[in-house]
This record gives sequence, C-alpha cells and structure tokens, in this order.
Amino acid sequence: MTGASPRLTRRLQLSGLLVGLGLAVEALTMAWSHPTAFLAFLLVGGTLVGLGVLVYLYAIVSN
Amino acid sequence: MPYLTAGFVAVVLVTIALIALVALRPSLVEARGGRVLAFLALCVLPLLMTALGVSAQVEHSKSTEFCLSCHVMEPYGKSLHVDDSSWVPAQHYQNNRVPRGEACFTCHTNYTLFGDFKAKLRGLRHVYVNYIGTIPKEIKLYDPYNNRECLHCHAGARSFEESDLHKEVRAELAKNATSCLECHDTIHNVHGLAGVKIWKEGKP
Repeated sequence: MTGASPRLTRRLQLSGLLVGLGLAVEALTMAWSHPTAFLAFLLVGGTLVGLGVLVYLYAIVSN
Repeated sequence: MPYLTAGFVAVVLVTIALIALVALRPSLVEARGGRVLAFLALCVLPLLMTALGVSAQVEHSKSTEFCLSCHVMEPYGKSLHVDDSSWVPAQHYQNNRVPRGEACFTCHTNYTLFGDFKAKLRGLRHVYVNYIGTIPKEIKLYDPYNNRECLHCHAGARSFEESDLHKEVRAELAKNATSCLECHDTIHNVHGLAGVKIWKEGKP
C-alpha cells in the first residue's frame, strides 16, 4: 500500500468537513420546532451535504 | 418525534465518526474495504440521512407546535382554548374532533408545505416577513375557506347529513357556493380574545 495521493487526501478531507458540518446542522435543526429550522435543514444542511458528496465523487472520479 | 430525533442524531454521530476515520486516515481508501467505507460515510449515509430528515421535517411541520412557533400565530393558538363551544376551532380542539397535535393542519390542509407551488413560496415569504418584513396587523387567508376542510370529516356523518338545515344547502356546500362559515361564523376571532374565559388543558 502506497497511501492516497495528497490531492485525493485533501479532497477527501474537504468532503468530510462539508458532509460532517452539513449533518451536524441537520441534527441540530431536528430538535427545533420552527419553520426556520426546516429551512436551515434544507438550505444549509442539505447544501453542505450535497457539496460534500459532490467533492467526494469528484475526488474518486478524478483520482 | 423525540425518538425519531434521537435516532437521527445517533446515526449522524456514527456517520461523523466514520467520516473522521476516512478523513484522518485517507490511506484506508487504498484498500477495497476502505473504499466501501468511504463510499458509505461520504455518500450513501449522508444522502440517506438527508432524505429521512426531510421526510421527518415535513411530517413535523403538520404539528400544532410548529404552526404556533411564530409569535404572530399565538392568538390563533389561544383561540383553541376559549371556554365557549360556539367558537368552532375551540370546540373541535377541546373535544378531540381534530387531533390536538395536528389541529391547524387538519382544517388548513393546503397551507405552505402541503399546498401547491404557490403555497410553498408563500411559506418562504412568511418566514421572511417574520424576521425581516412587516407583519400585517390582520392575517387573512389567501383564498376563501374551502368547505372541503369541513366536509372531509362531516360529509357522511349522521348528525350532519340528517340536519334539515344542511339538507337544504347540501349541494351548494359541496360546490363551495355557500360557505360553512356563513352560519358557523365564530372562528378564531382573535380580536375578541380579551376577557374571554380560557379552558385549562389538563393532562389525561
């Protein structure tokens, strides 16, 4: 095993950061009963998770 | 909902732990098992959790607590507790003719998330107005109240169908040519709340 390339490592870490943040926002908003929570879930959490997944897919395709 | 939220948070924590493992040990992806783990942690689980979360949030937005969470809706919530059976929403709420946990949604089924695209945009506007815009002094329905909201429970009910008054206007009610509210006209009446007796909701 030679280890992942630095570029792949960076992209996986960026993806992990985005997805992790997105999931954290989603989990926090689940505990709050308010229309703003729904919007934050979708617009902030969903966008971060979506971006993170795209970065991950790009990382594995371009590697 | 608390169980759902706890379950959601638990799976999110597990996913974040797996993500941390992949991000801190990227060499894992060199092995087949590591690639599967990364795919699960960075793609499958997050998308699955987001989809489940949206479903749970939509379901939760039917709750009375959700509707009354904005300050402007508080008088409408109070009107459900008026100790006077001539107030239609109060009578329905207090006698379990609508589920108390979903009281608003039961009679306003076409609002915001559950309406058409226009209704969803209006919902977004409500959030904007709540924080940034000017909240109107009087809140009105966008469209005349649809008899469908009453008839989805009352149509076919003996007390409704056998009433002579209802028989006279039955066809008109079905067509919305006559509104139920023309006779049953004490609805939320939020301007008349001062001084009314309020029913204290006891725990079963």
